[in-house]
Amino acid sequence: MLRSPSPNPDGLTSQQGDETMQPPTRPAPWIARSISTEFGRRHVRGVAITRLLVAIAAVTVGSILCVSGQWWGALLFVPAALNLWFAYLMPRWKRALDDLKSGPRVRELERSRALVVEDAAARLRRIEQDLHDGAQAQMVAVVMKLGLARDRLGNAVAESGQRDLERVLELVDAAHRGAMEAITELRDLAHGIHPPALAEGLGAALAALAARSDLPVDLDLDLPERPSAAIEVIAYFCAAELLTNAAKHSGARHVTLETTHHPGLVRLRVSDDGSGGARIAAGGGLVGLADRVKTVDGRLHVASPAGGPTVVTIELPSHA
Amino acid sequence: MRIVVAEDSAIIRAGLAEILADRGHVVVAAVGNAEDLQSAVDKHHPDAAVVDVRMPPGYTDEGIRAAIAIRRDHPGTGVLVFSQYIETRHAANLLGAASGSGAAGVGYLLKDRVGDVSEFVEALSRVAAGGTALDPEVVTQLLRASRRADGLGALTAREHDVLALMAEGRSNGAIADTLVISERAVEKHVANIFSKFSLTPSETDHRRVLAVLRYLGPGPADPLPDHPGSRSS
Repeated sequence: MLRSPSPNPDGLTSQQGDETMQPPTRPAPWIARSISTEFGRRHVRGVAITRLLVAIAAVTVGSILCVSGQWWGALLFVPAALNLWFAYLMPRWKRALDDLKSGPRVRELERSRALVVEDAAARLRRIEQDLHDGAQAQMVAVVMKLGLARDRLGNAVAESGQRDLERVLELVDAAHRGAMEAITELRDLAHGIHPPALAEGLGAALAALAARSDLPVDLDLDLPERPSAAIEVIAYFCAAELLTNAAKHSGARHVTLETTHHPGLVRLRVSDDGSGGARIAAGGGLVGLADRVKTVDGRLHVASPAGGPTVVTIELPSHA
Repeated sequence: MRIVVAEDSAIIRAGLAEILADRGHVVVAAVGNAEDLQSAVDKHHPDAAVVDVRMPPGYTDEGIRAAIAIRRDHPGTGVLVFSQYIETRHAANLLGAASGSGAAGVGYLLKDRVGDVSEFVEALSRVAAGGTALDPEVVTQLLRASRRADGLGALTAREHDVLALMAEGRSNGAIADTLVISERAVEKHVANIFSKFSLTPSETDHRRVLAVLRYLGPGPADPLPDHPGSRSS
């Protein structure tokens, strides 16, 4: 959970081209939680308004009758009260009861989700380590042996000039090249599963990321303490995606990557001097980021007016 | 050459020993962690050490720290660091320490390069002789970092090629052969590179490479962090 999230962290939310991914708006308190679809909510709202109007009409007519001495007009207060009860008070009451019952459950879900998220991060790290110690090491050993074999065969072919040896040399050479490519692919795969640079902390990993970027990156890191492993991974992949976006789409000449970690809150901000117009649109990369950030109740905020600059801010809790 | 190998993967350790023995070198010790590496070097005073970056106990940068310590305490031992991944920061720290001590004798290569046995053994020999052997990828990343830091006039493509080959440890003659240009042309490019970085050309090949790379990297002023957090801008 975000500790005391500020609703408007940058003072930017009012600008044109602003988008913030946040949880869906809370339905009105008189609509029960079990009604989850927009159609259902509209229907309930329509019925409630009708009931409310009927109640107001009944009270008005009843009051007029009472005032004019017709005491039986007070009978109209009964349907008015019933309508008011069904339309407004009863759902509210039920909802309050729901909240009372679901509070502990929500907290439990949050706890178990945090466990799942951290466990997934730890599992991916183990897979990367297993790849490094297993398949990657095996492939390096294979490549060494093939390299030796190729060199010896090369000498033998040069000395004897035998045709079939030459054919074997071609095969070994092709196997050697294939194994080299496999190593490169394995390395990229392992890196995508869990960036090894994170072993030395988020700061070191982000510095390595900045060094590899196609655009000049100004790095401003203030990470006195390490967030949890899952948060570091999310922050790293978000930074990687945002730097790639800036280099690919924005036409920027310069990017700034700021990352701070202050009690409870990791804030990552990528600003570029490009052409702006970045949107959280279906199928776009930013949606993927927003989804990833939401798994830990984080927030993604995009300020990207046409003409630039683009500032993407991501806020994450210290722990999943 | 007498060589110490430090690599935590037994299978790669055995492979390295096989390659080196095949080329007539003697592996005096093959160890699996940085601590054993230090004591092996203290004991055997080898010509060169081949060191993996990621080793127990932390599996982070133990190899780099050990390499820097070896270069400091054993000027006669060249250190070739090899790694599954290129980390520019590690390379820069290594180069910074090497140029600070006044001698080269360091290398930083991707692990895959051992697949080309002859080139790998050649690189190791250069490092043992006090030269350099840097992965082309390291040079590219260092150059990129320097562009953003100082807004230096970017090197031309040709100058970049020459610097990359210099960093790999090749002589002007070898660079000329590789790029199919005259040795005079190489000398001209080298002079241009030095003037672009406002450096005084020095007499030996290794010193000049280190001068450039030292200039590009963060250098010894940026020590390896001992704590998990870091601050930089």
